[in-house]
Amino acid sequence: MEAHHVSNLLVALLLLGAAATGRALWRNRLWREALTELWRRRRLSLLTIALFISVGLLDSVAWIGGEVAGEDLLASHEARSVIDRLFLKPAEGSYSAPFATHTFYNKQPLVAPAGHPFGTDILGRDVFHRTLKGVRVALLIGGFTSLIAIPLALLLGIRAGYFGGRFDDMVFFVMSTLASIPSLLLLIALILVLGRGTWQVCVALGITSWVGLCRVTRGETLKLRELDYIQAAKALGVSNGRILLRHILPNLMHLVIVTFVLLFSQLVLSEATLAYLGIGVDGSWGQMIDQARTELSREPVIYWNIAAAGAAMFTLLLAVNYVGDALRDILDPRTLREDA
Amino acid sequence: MNRGNLACCACALLLLAGCSNNPYPDADSATRTYYTTFVEAHRTLDPAEAYNVSAHKVTGLVYDTLLEYHYLKRPYTLIPGLATEVPVAEPLADGGVRYRFRLREGAGYGDDPCFERGGKGRRSREVVAEDIAYQLQRLADPALQVQVREPFSRIVGFRDFMTALEARRRADPAFAALPARLQYQQLGGIPGLRVPGRYELEVRLSEPYPQLLYWFAMEFSTPVPWEAVEYYDARPGRARFADHPVGAGAFQVVEYQKQSRVVLERNPNWYGYRHPDAPAARYPSEGAPGDAALGLLDPAYRGRPVPFVDRIEIRLDKEDIPRFGKFLQGYYDVSKIIKESFDQVVQSDRLTPEMEALGVRLQKAVSPSVFYLGFNMADKAVGAAAGARGRKLRQAMSLAVDSARFIELFLNGRGVEAQAPLPPVLAGYPEGYRNPYRQVDLERARRLLGEAGYPEGIDPQTGKPLRLSFDTYATSSQVLLQREFFVNEWRKIGIDVEIANTTYNEFQAKLERGAYQLYFYGWSADYPDPENFLFLLTCDMRRIPHNGPNSANFCDARYDRLFAQMEVMPNGPERNAIIEEMLAILREERPWIELFHRIDYSLAHEWISNLKPFGMSHPMYKYYDVDPKRRAELRAARNRPVVWPAWALLGVAVLGVAPGVRTFFRNRQ
Amino acid sequence: MLAYILRRLGYGVGVVFGVLFVLFVLFFQIATPDDIARRALGEKARAQDIEDWKANNGYDRPLWPWQDFRDNQLFTHYHSMLRFDFGRSDVDGTPIARRLREGVAPSLTITVPIFVLSLLLTVLLGLFVAFFRETYIDIAGVFLCVLGMSVSILLYIIGGQFLIGKLLHWFPISGFDLDPSVMLRFIALPVMIGVLSAAGGDVRFYRTVFVEETGRDYVRTARAKGAGELRVMLRHVLRNSLIPILTRVVVTIPFLFVGSLLLENFFGIPGLGSLTVDSIQQNDFRTLRVIVFVFSLMFIGGQIATDISYAAVDSRVRLE
Repeated sequence: MEAHHVSNLLVALLLLGAAATGRALWRNRLWREALTELWRRRRLSLLTIALFISVGLLDSVAWIGGEVAGEDLLASHEARSVIDRLFLKPAEGSYSAPFATHTFYNKQPLVAPAGHPFGTDILGRDVFHRTLKGVRVALLIGGFTSLIAIPLALLLGIRAGYFGGRFDDMVFFVMSTLASIPSLLLLIALILVLGRGTWQVCVALGITSWVGLCRVTRGETLKLRELDYIQAAKALGVSNGRILLRHILPNLMHLVIVTFVLLFSQLVLSEATLAYLGIGVDGSWGQMIDQARTELSREPVIYWNIAAAGAAMFTLLLAVNYVGDALRDILDPRTLREDA
Repeated sequence: MNRGNLACCACALLLLAGCSNNPYPDADSATRTYYTTFVEAHRTLDPAEAYNVSAHKVTGLVYDTLLEYHYLKRPYTLIPGLATEVPVAEPLADGGVRYRFRLREGAGYGDDPCFERGGKGRRSREVVAEDIAYQLQRLADPALQVQVREPFSRIVGFRDFMTALEARRRADPAFAALPARLQYQQLGGIPGLRVPGRYELEVRLSEPYPQLLYWFAMEFSTPVPWEAVEYYDARPGRARFADHPVGAGAFQVVEYQKQSRVVLERNPNWYGYRHPDAPAARYPSEGAPGDAALGLLDPAYRGRPVPFVDRIEIRLDKEDIPRFGKFLQGYYDVSKIIKESFDQVVQSDRLTPEMEALGVRLQKAVSPSVFYLGFNMADKAVGAAAGARGRKLRQAMSLAVDSARFIELFLNGRGVEAQAPLPPVLAGYPEGYRNPYRQVDLERARRLLGEAGYPEGIDPQTGKPLRLSFDTYATSSQVLLQREFFVNEWRKIGIDVEIANTTYNEFQAKLERGAYQLYFYGWSADYPDPENFLFLLTCDMRRIPHNGPNSANFCDARYDRLFAQMEVMPNGPERNAIIEEMLAILREERPWIELFHRIDYSLAHEWISNLKPFGMSHPMYKYYDVDPKRRAELRAARNRPVVWPAWALLGVAVLGVAPGVRTFFRNRQ
Repeated sequence: MLAYILRRLGYGVGVVFGVLFVLFVLFFQIATPDDIARRALGEKARAQDIEDWKANNGYDRPLWPWQDFRDNQLFTHYHSMLRFDFGRSDVDGTPIARRLREGVAPSLTITVPIFVLSLLLTVLLGLFVAFFRETYIDIAGVFLCVLGMSVSILLYIIGGQFLIGKLLHWFPISGFDLDPSVMLRFIALPVMIGVLSAAGGDVRFYRTVFVEETGRDYVRTARAKGAGELRVMLRHVLRNSLIPILTRVVVTIPFLFVGSLLLENFFGIPGLGSLTVDSIQQNDFRTLRVIVFVFSLMFIGGQIATDISYAAVDSRVRLE
């Protein structure tokens, strides 16, 4: 099966999964209230995130064929996504400013005058297009990494916290060991070892970021374990598996969600640092920033590349951080609010 | 709160007190110092091993050679350095040749404690011919990472000496424990090297090799004092010899901080002070045409003894942009123009008015270098095994790459479109040579691709576009952009080239296994002779199996025959005819897609004189002069700190917060 | 108490062993000795050179104890690391211990001022914002913090060099010198950027701490007794928030020694951060391994010290 089929299938699965989760959450009164509250407080941020996610999804649905631009003989044989199909104009000669009609330096007329809202890069590619493509990469880094880190952290954290004993000691030991190695260095070492590429970076990020969540879940489970109703359930002979699934896991969900949201922005920022070190993910905003960082000292200055990538990253992270903040307030019963 | 504010203000004041962007101690301004940069920390400054531009900036100053290049003349001309004259080849009966060098008397090494072995308090020693023989033996020492053994292995017995040394060391631990110099002596040295007198050196070659003299103008064949090697290498806790150069050059290292700077001062024992008439100890009185107009033959300098500067400070500065910024501020005396600032500095091939107002001068020179895309000729699809199909594929791909656009986009036009592996500045380059496969012609490329069996780029075996891999080990995103440029060019003829970007190790492993198809590489001349470029494509230099620099693995019997002929010929029409024939083979076979020869644009401030771009990696700083007074004035004038934004920012912050504070307190009350 | 200290120390030693094992797996099992040798010798090395180099550097021996119990690299690795016998760099043969020693001072000249200034500034700003909570100053402050957190440090550095170094001429664009007459001007810009780039997250954190503290009963009591707001903030809130602040601060101390990878690299500061980046770029695995090990040691040491001092202060901790 070709790569784009996998990608299409994953999009379908993802949508189904999201729908199912959403329905399940909506049926629970507490979650419904929390979500409504979130919507009330952070409408703009949520909409922004939704927009980014749709762009990412649209960029993941691809097929072969259709209209092709310019002199590129290969394009008709390649799978192109919905987003790619919105940008059919062939590449320009070189740099052009946003909405310009001529190239920036030698003033050649453009193929698409005033057609590039964010200008074009050194190879004449539309920067808006590249920025949109970066959305998928950012979501992939954040999402795929979380997919590795969160289940791992939950599985180990809950088991260790609930059962304790030898297993707990072991998990705790592994956590302290990994936490003792500076995370950026561990990350770099892992990527050097695994090789360059998207999934390698995600795996490396996953390995370095599960520890934080694991520590939190373990601690929380330790506390929950001692609560009366769990002790009562145990006394009544409810099986451990059932207790874990029905009582412990749901009570950890708020922590998971908050951690995920905060982890996400951290991951995207880490990738930018990796891009500077030359081991980032191809097509990411970090890479765009790194490619463009020298353009700032050109004269006249070329700002649109770095501005577009920086602004896109900034907008997404701002929205995510804002939502994360609000979620923490809403979901964490301990937070003392002045008005409460 | 108030206390906090006070502390903040104090901190800010403290910072502003140190407010100056001069990266040097203020006292240095008055010295006659030449400031320049290197871009990577040196692995080694051992003249037998050092082989890159950054290292040569130091070794070239510390280690003088028997021969040198004339500073101004082009084409490049050799003049005697430590030697009294440039020797001529004397043919021998056995088909070999002999060169006889005579050293100047009274040449001394730079001051160093290692010479105390010759008597207490001694700081230097006279240079003798034995020292050069010693260094040439070191070149044959397998324990050293020498990258240029190949040319020196034409010295009679060089290879045998190497094998004998290796074998003896393995067999006899007591021998291996001796200092290297004694080991060389016990083996009787290299038979092709003789030292008939204190100042005389005879070099015997097994075959004629006129390029040898160029190698005697490079640091590899410099005299090296054995005392320094033994003093610094034998004891733990002391800097290695590789970190502590001691040589007979015009300058000596006085401070070496590997990660930040090298400071050199005059070597008081330099031969030039004893022999002021030696050609390399004086500023030349004649030069290439046009040099006089450029002010390079100023009567104030003509024929005067060098060096002019007292001190040279070389700073490590890895990043282009800060380095260039500091040049503009006057803290480095010279600079290459970096890509990013090109348009700020040069417009329509002239300095911009702002630059002229700064008093900056621009010099251009095509460097003896070539950058190319190579095909792996050992590959099934693109290589020799694919026969005529492969050749047509390579020709088609060559026709699709627009190096003019590459030069414009990535080099700001600072390049000459390459037609052949030879740079046009070398003798032997056919005047006005044009390679038909290096002119962009997509129509023809598509036709050739069809003839090669890939109509529209479709590979009949898979029914999909032909897929090739472009193997790189680019570490920066910027380099990756350049690779993408080529990929886009080939998309136009329907070939799907994928960038296989790996780590350096994986790339080297691929080269060794032969598991690569396309790669990007460059070559800079070691010396100005076509042989130094054309040898890159001979069978003996193949990566597989010889692990040579011919990564294209190109091998053509006729080419090799012509090369063997050309190699030993003097420059002239006969040699040029052969070179042209060789280029014709490469033209059709296309093991390389030649891209460009760099044009070096260098900038210099007005306070520095006698600058001429040299092309090869050789620091010619002894001919430079600086005017420290003028420099100090201009630096001060250009770097006045602009402080008002700090106050403005503070003002905005105060104004922004003040109303809130006021309302807040009013409400509380 | 003694028992606790001993147990904690023992655990620390265990973690050191664990870290060493991870390092061994990363740097030996997967980056093969051939890779290391090839990188050290350069492109023109012949197969024989590589073999010789491996033999000279002990890379030709088996890796694991079960291959050869007496002579294997795992034991050598533990042995040399635990004795702090770091050997020489794979790339240029200089003793790694010396490179570390040389790198510590430049790193500290950057990180210590960043640490101190940043602590002062962020706690003050946190207090300030918390003091004016629920006003537009607070809202704008939090917004600025989130804003600052969403910007990559790359952008801070690039912007700082451009604006302050190039346009305003306040300080050198980059560079470093330990010479006291010029050191201050070199460190000013990186310190400013270092403080600024971390300020967003810290200020927000301290604000949360302070706001949480102001909600407590004793603060209300103090207010009810007529204590001025300023006095409440400084005397009560700040003092009672010291524990969470210290917890956050102590953890960052080991980081001071590794320096900042990006800052050092952009500003050409020859500290441990630059050393790390260089080692990565040159595949100098031996140096990298030592850097990571030394850092982990400091981190573990810091943790132990924190835990023990907590235990000394608060006997309940020990029972956990």
